[in-house]
Amino acid sequence: MTTILDPSASLAHDIADPGPDAGDLRGKRVAVRIDMLWRSWDWVSEVWADKLRAAGAEVTFWRSCGRTGEEGVIADREYNALLAQSDLAIVGLGNCGSCTSWTIADALTAAATGMPTIGVATAHFEGLANNLAKRGGRSGLRLHILPYPLDILPKAQVHDIAREHYRSFLRNFGVRSELAQQSAA
Amino acid sequence: MAQGWGDGLPLIPPTEQRVQEFLVAGGRFPDELIAVLPPLRAECTVEKIAINAVMAGCTGDAMPLLCAAVEAMADPQFDLAGLNATTGSVVPAVVVNGPIRNRLDIPYQAGCLGGVASPAVAIGRAIRLIMRNVAGQLIGSTSQSVYGTPGRVAGIVFGEWEERSPWAPLAERRGVPGDAVTVYGAMGTANICDVVANSADGFLDMIAKSMAYPGANGFLPSSAFAETLCLISPVWAEVIGKDYPNIEDVQAYIWDKCALPIDWFRPEYRDPIGNLGRIKPDGRVHLVPTPQDVLVMVAGGEGGLHAAMLHSWGTCLTVTRPIAAA
Repeated sequence: MTTILDPSASLAHDIADPGPDAGDLRGKRVAVRIDMLWRSWDWVSEVWADKLRAAGAEVTFWRSCGRTGEEGVIADREYNALLAQSDLAIVGLGNCGSCTSWTIADALTAAATGMPTIGVATAHFEGLANNLAKRGGRSGLRLHILPYPLDILPKAQVHDIAREHYRSFLRNFGVRSELAQQSAA
Repeated sequence: MAQGWGDGLPLIPPTEQRVQEFLVAGGRFPDELIAVLPPLRAECTVEKIAINAVMAGCTGDAMPLLCAAVEAMADPQFDLAGLNATTGSVVPAVVVNGPIRNRLDIPYQAGCLGGVASPAVAIGRAIRLIMRNVAGQLIGSTSQSVYGTPGRVAGIVFGEWEERSPWAPLAERRGVPGDAVTVYGAMGTANICDVVANSADGFLDMIAKSMAYPGANGFLPSSAFAETLCLISPVWAEVIGKDYPNIEDVQAYIWDKCALPIDWFRPEYRDPIGNLGRIKPDGRVHLVPTPQDVLVMVAGGEGGLHAAMLHSWGTCLTVTRPIAAA
């Protein structure tokens, strides 16, 4: 009998658990990873940051730029330093192929520290984000999905989307107390 | 195809015997780990390389080149994770230097970027199958490439015509003399034609200005930095080499002319480009930050008239590795 050998490779391990909930926002230090590609993510995250601050969190932004060469070494060092000083991580934006790859890679890095982490992508790249999280060994990675296309919309419309999505974003992130307060209000 | 292992072309079944013969010819241990390849982040062993190489139609003597190329692509500087997922139409180009070019019959003369019959086609295809089957790069799943590129089927594998180059081989200039492989994230290949120029400056002007188009990777506000690669045919290289015997001067010339005035861009582009510090005091934006980022090599047929440009992708940095003897 002739045996055909398998040319493919697969990961042996997977973490299907989404990790800890973000919980109560009061006093939490939130790292928000933005990038140099998507102005719409700047606009969404600034709306969310205002709301997170209003809920008692401290928000720090970090912008991902070049990730290779000397600039990449510096970027990795900065990002890891930020994570070391943070309690929660919000990582975006997956809105193209490579930026989704880096978004998920940075989200996996944050999640690997054990901190509550959520990646953010747009609808067209949801499948890619899920695939990359799974192939990165953490299929349970929390994701929040924004509409697509997003970046071609005017700022006011993106701000509206950010406000509309804030509650479901909190739910995906496991912020129960804030949701409860909003429900009571 | 049913297993999801194929590229649409017929495959040679990787039987145990064929793979064993390949491994013996390649002189490597099957369980040796060469690299961890994204996006699957799976381990690429010598055996996995051999299986995919057999499927592609490679012969065992290509094993050292395949291993070196895979190892180079896995270097973090190459950003394979981003490259394999991007919406762009990028494919790693594989440039071969040293005597191994001739031993493996890697093309560096007429038709070297595609079309000439050569084992490079099977070698390129093997690398593409490794990206598909081991790295897990699948269109619509982990790869979002909007158009793809023909190079994603059989790769882009070519050599440098070192014997006709007025300058040292590309890999040697990058610190790796002798048998070496250089991987470069290429957004396809494009031709540059000139039927008028008859001087070094004339040829270089045409090359540099042709490379400066606004949608090129290096001009994107999303690229903090970039590289670019141009292939000069031996006919043009001979003329250019007489006036510019130092390759650094060729790089500097191309870099200088390969630029666009910032006011040529629409207003909404100017701040993002300016924020990267890319606008020079004279108001121009260069395709790449420094002359060293212009990669130049000699390849192509003797018909003259043409050069080739291969624009880069993202901040993918070119990686050169020695090719170990089998």
